[in-house]
Amino acid sequence: MDALKIKQASAMPAPTWGWLRMNDTAIEIPAGLERARAVTIEADEDLTETHASFEGAVEKLQERLDAVRADAPDTRACVRAAEREQELLDDLDTPALSAYQLAATREEIAGDVAHAFETGIGIDARSYLNFLAGGTVVLATEEGACEQAIVRVAGTSGHMAGAAVDVVAAKGSTLDVVISLDGVADSSRAAGLIGSELRVFAGEGARVNVTVYITADDVFTVLDDAGYVLDEGARVNVRHVVLGGAHTYTGLASDLRGDTARMEIDTRYLAAGDDTRDFNYIIRHRGRRTFSNMDANGVLTGTSKKVLRGTIDLIHGCKGAEGSERETVLLANKGVDNKTVPVILCDEDDVAGNHGATIGHVRPEQLFYLGCRGLSQEQAEALFTAAKLEDAALSAPDEQIRANVIRLGSALIEDFADFEEEIA
Amino acid sequence: MAKKRTEVADIDRSLYDFKDSEEGFERLDAGLTPEIVTEISQRKDEPAWMLDFRLKSLEIYNSMPNPTWGPSIAGLDMDHIVTYVKPNTDQKADWDSVPDDIKNTFERLGIPEAERSYLAGVGAQYDSELVYHNMQDTASKMGIVYSGIEEALHEPKWEAIIREKFMTLIPPTDHKFAALHGAVWSGGSFVYVPAGVKLDFPLQSYFRLNAAGAGQFEHTLIIVEDDADLHFIEGCSAPKYNVANLHAGAVELFVGKRAHLRYSTIENWSKNMYNLNTKRARCDEEGEIEWISGSFGSHVGYLYPMSVLAGRKSKSSFTGITFAGAGQNLDTGCKVVLGAPETTATVETKGISKGGGIQTFRSSIVATPAAEGSAATVSCQSLMLDDESRSDTIPSMDIRAKNVDIGHEATIGRIGDDKVFYLMSRGISEEEARTMIVNGFANPVSKELPLEYAVEMNNLIKLEMEGAIG
Amino acid sequence: MSTDALLSVADLTASVDEKTILHGVNLQVAAGETHVIMGPNGAGKSTMGHVIMGDPVYTVNSGSIIFDGADITELSCDKRSRAGLFLSFQAPVEIPGVPLSSFLRASIAGRPGLEMRGKEFRRRVKELAAQLDMDTAYLNRELGVGFSGGEKKKVEMLQLLLLQPKLAILDETDSGLDVDALSVVSRGMDAYRSTCDGSLVIITHNTRILEHLDVDRVHVMVSGRIVREDDASLIPWIDEHGFESFEREADETADAC
Repeated sequence: MDALKIKQASAMPAPTWGWLRMNDTAIEIPAGLERARAVTIEADEDLTETHASFEGAVEKLQERLDAVRADAPDTRACVRAAEREQELLDDLDTPALSAYQLAATREEIAGDVAHAFETGIGIDARSYLNFLAGGTVVLATEEGACEQAIVRVAGTSGHMAGAAVDVVAAKGSTLDVVISLDGVADSSRAAGLIGSELRVFAGEGARVNVTVYITADDVFTVLDDAGYVLDEGARVNVRHVVLGGAHTYTGLASDLRGDTARMEIDTRYLAAGDDTRDFNYIIRHRGRRTFSNMDANGVLTGTSKKVLRGTIDLIHGCKGAEGSERETVLLANKGVDNKTVPVILCDEDDVAGNHGATIGHVRPEQLFYLGCRGLSQEQAEALFTAAKLEDAALSAPDEQIRANVIRLGSALIEDFADFEEEIA
Repeated sequence: MAKKRTEVADIDRSLYDFKDSEEGFERLDAGLTPEIVTEISQRKDEPAWMLDFRLKSLEIYNSMPNPTWGPSIAGLDMDHIVTYVKPNTDQKADWDSVPDDIKNTFERLGIPEAERSYLAGVGAQYDSELVYHNMQDTASKMGIVYSGIEEALHEPKWEAIIREKFMTLIPPTDHKFAALHGAVWSGGSFVYVPAGVKLDFPLQSYFRLNAAGAGQFEHTLIIVEDDADLHFIEGCSAPKYNVANLHAGAVELFVGKRAHLRYSTIENWSKNMYNLNTKRARCDEEGEIEWISGSFGSHVGYLYPMSVLAGRKSKSSFTGITFAGAGQNLDTGCKVVLGAPETTATVETKGISKGGGIQTFRSSIVATPAAEGSAATVSCQSLMLDDESRSDTIPSMDIRAKNVDIGHEATIGRIGDDKVFYLMSRGISEEEARTMIVNGFANPVSKELPLEYAVEMNNLIKLEMEGAIG
Repeated sequence: MSTDALLSVADLTASVDEKTILHGVNLQVAAGETHVIMGPNGAGKSTMGHVIMGDPVYTVNSGSIIFDGADITELSCDKRSRAGLFLSFQAPVEIPGVPLSSFLRASIAGRPGLEMRGKEFRRRVKELAAQLDMDTAYLNRELGVGFSGGEKKKVEMLQLLLLQPKLAILDETDSGLDVDALSVVSRGMDAYRSTCDGSLVIITHNTRILEHLDVDRVHVMVSGRIVREDDASLIPWIDEHGFESFEREADETADAC
């Protein structure tokens, strides 16, 4: 069987120059993998025995949005541009839109939640992961309930396995979801693939906390694809901890549809050897006074490569919205390649958007402090690498995931066993 | 309570919307074929290598796709664009011999006055040919060459240098409009500053597009040799027509060791212009390029001056402002390649959008593995003046070197009500307060703009920032 | 002056951004002694600590720093640390993503006699935390991030006790203002003196931190120069009279030059 390739995956909404090779990625699915059942879901029965569905929740939200939709004609320049049949220069007051701006305007005019739904890696990866999973598990809370669930995908060499989960958090409920994407290479060191497909509907005032740990060995391709829709006042906290995997793809798209919805994403990553890390975050602010914050912190060693695309999209109507993103990357070795594209798209004036990136070595004041405690620059960089793993172990959601981190850490760092003994 | 928002007006471009009769001007047939390209070359009596270069570029042009990531250029129909218009006058050495109608244009833009008081030389391009050329004696006595590039091509000494450098920084394969430029380029400036020569007043070139439906493809080639210093100012404007105009110029700047070049531009094309201009500088060891860039006019703009820092400790700074009003989609920014150890780059840009205009900041910072010890900072601020305009920020960084410091900051927002309130509580009217804040926003960039050198630019900034108050 | 000084700073001139901050400073500290460097704000006291520790921000223009018999003037700060020199900071720098425990383990790694196995390390650190009344939950938190003023000081003192340096420079310029911080530092100094018997150089402009401490020598620094050196009796005098007379003298000397 020829290797399958998912093209134009993790595409950023507004592309830039093609020669930079950052706009999207091609995911190669290793050839000859066998499908395996390697997914376990630990959740209370009241979470899984439900009639709620993601589609149903979106539909109800759509009804509410349509009911309050203003029918005053929209005469904005971009709308005129999107609705005209031909680009003529007779009308010099109508701008020529880019392909992305045109699509965004049309999407805005349509106001269709289901149609606008997207996931970070994209539709092809979603289809592939759904096929791998075989079926979708729905985790739905009752109003005001407080629940937890753990999804584990345990990959093995020569196999591919995936989970597909829909989360529907009812009004005022709280749900903690942990996804562990782990894979252990056997002595053959044959390739493997694991992944998860997640759709989340966070209802009015619901709180959803999602933690994803990727701790696979360096023969695995890992896909973590997710799409979120947030209703009024919903709060979602996402933690992405990406420590292992030969090629990892983390994609998250979020539709902050309801007013005052909040999305916070904390990403910690480590890439060693010739690992590649690919992240694509798309946060669409549609509701008023919505808030988002993305914070990524990573270390690249060996000859690893990383791309992080982060897009904050402040869409017309999201008055009072605030979106920010920040990335700090430590390049701990000569041969690494770090690509970062922090995009802000803005079609609304009463908003605040900001992004920042710091790329390079340990900051001088940090280096001096660490030097005063006896650490050379090399030792300081090694500390940052080890700390990524140790921090992940210390804050692991459960013992099993902690053990995965320690297994991976021991493979990456010589004296990691020392740390293992310490926290045991 | 309904809030009244004060409008900061668009630039009143009617001031520039006057045009001269096209009588007596030769026109080539519309459409782009090897025959046309050959004719352009023959008419210019060019060396054979240049004709070959043009024909190769045309092939590349025909084989390349349009850019898909930027503003639509569907309004351009290249088959019907007359790419070359030859004015009915040859190059003149003094102001008096320039035809009256052309002179009027410049008079109205205030160029001669500016020149008298400030400018070292004015190379004014009327349509595609250099019609007026003057340079102060001091500059030429210092050994500085400032001439039309076509003219320079006819002198064996400069022909050799032009052949060595021409479109090596911007190869025709770079993008479709670079290829077009390679095929049909016409006119432009050639500047050569010998080693160690430091000119302490700026040179200025003034381009102006006049004929309806005409494209402009001037080529600027500047060589600043080791330890030399130059400030070059380029200004562009065009009157309004209902037929699409295309500007696809190219600027290639070679900055020698320890040399310094400041390149200031105000691009204020009329609102039907498609401005797809390419500018690039290469710096040798400890050489420094400073870009000052203001983008105001055009229906569509693609403009990203690029610095290639090829020598150790070379430097680049980019200071830019883009103002997109009604009907405009201006995609601007810059590119930097940190290609040698200990290079540094700073980028500071301001973007303003209003009246449904679209403003995009796009940049790339690439650090090659050779760039160890380099640093770059990018700071980009966008101001939204109303809720029907658009402002996008699309920066990118590709860092492959160790021990580098790359910082990036961007913010977007509108004028804070608290700021307006604060100023109003001190007795300042709302209109004044808003203007003051916009002025303050643009100040870090506008203070770098060579306002003193051209009355037009002065008018622009003033009209734009102060607007129609009340 | 003792000839067998542990630390000997001779004629040290140092600058930052071409501005000279220290002008020919001399300082001798013998093993086991406690010295105090006092002086008004901006006198160059903190700079002195940083230069002795090897902060790359400063350039040493002339003079030498001899520590434990070796010239360390040209050594990088990590090597000075491993030679047994310690500088406490007003507060640790924030290092997001690095748990305090990971950092502490890295700082003792490869130090003869200090390196410990996992469990032993954890036990030792917990012991020291208890001694300083520090919540052990902080060990799993990111270094310096969200720590209170008192906790930051505890982190510094914990390192002092863990690393057991031969000579510790405590930069406590601001600690005098915070009662909590003051008590943490006092406890740390007591523990250090009683367990390590190392030398102490305390940088301060507030004498409260020196109560209950056996001070051997007091150095007064004004405008980047040591203008007076005396025994502990100088402390109550400064308490009463402040630094004004020293500053006046310094001005006069400067005028005379």
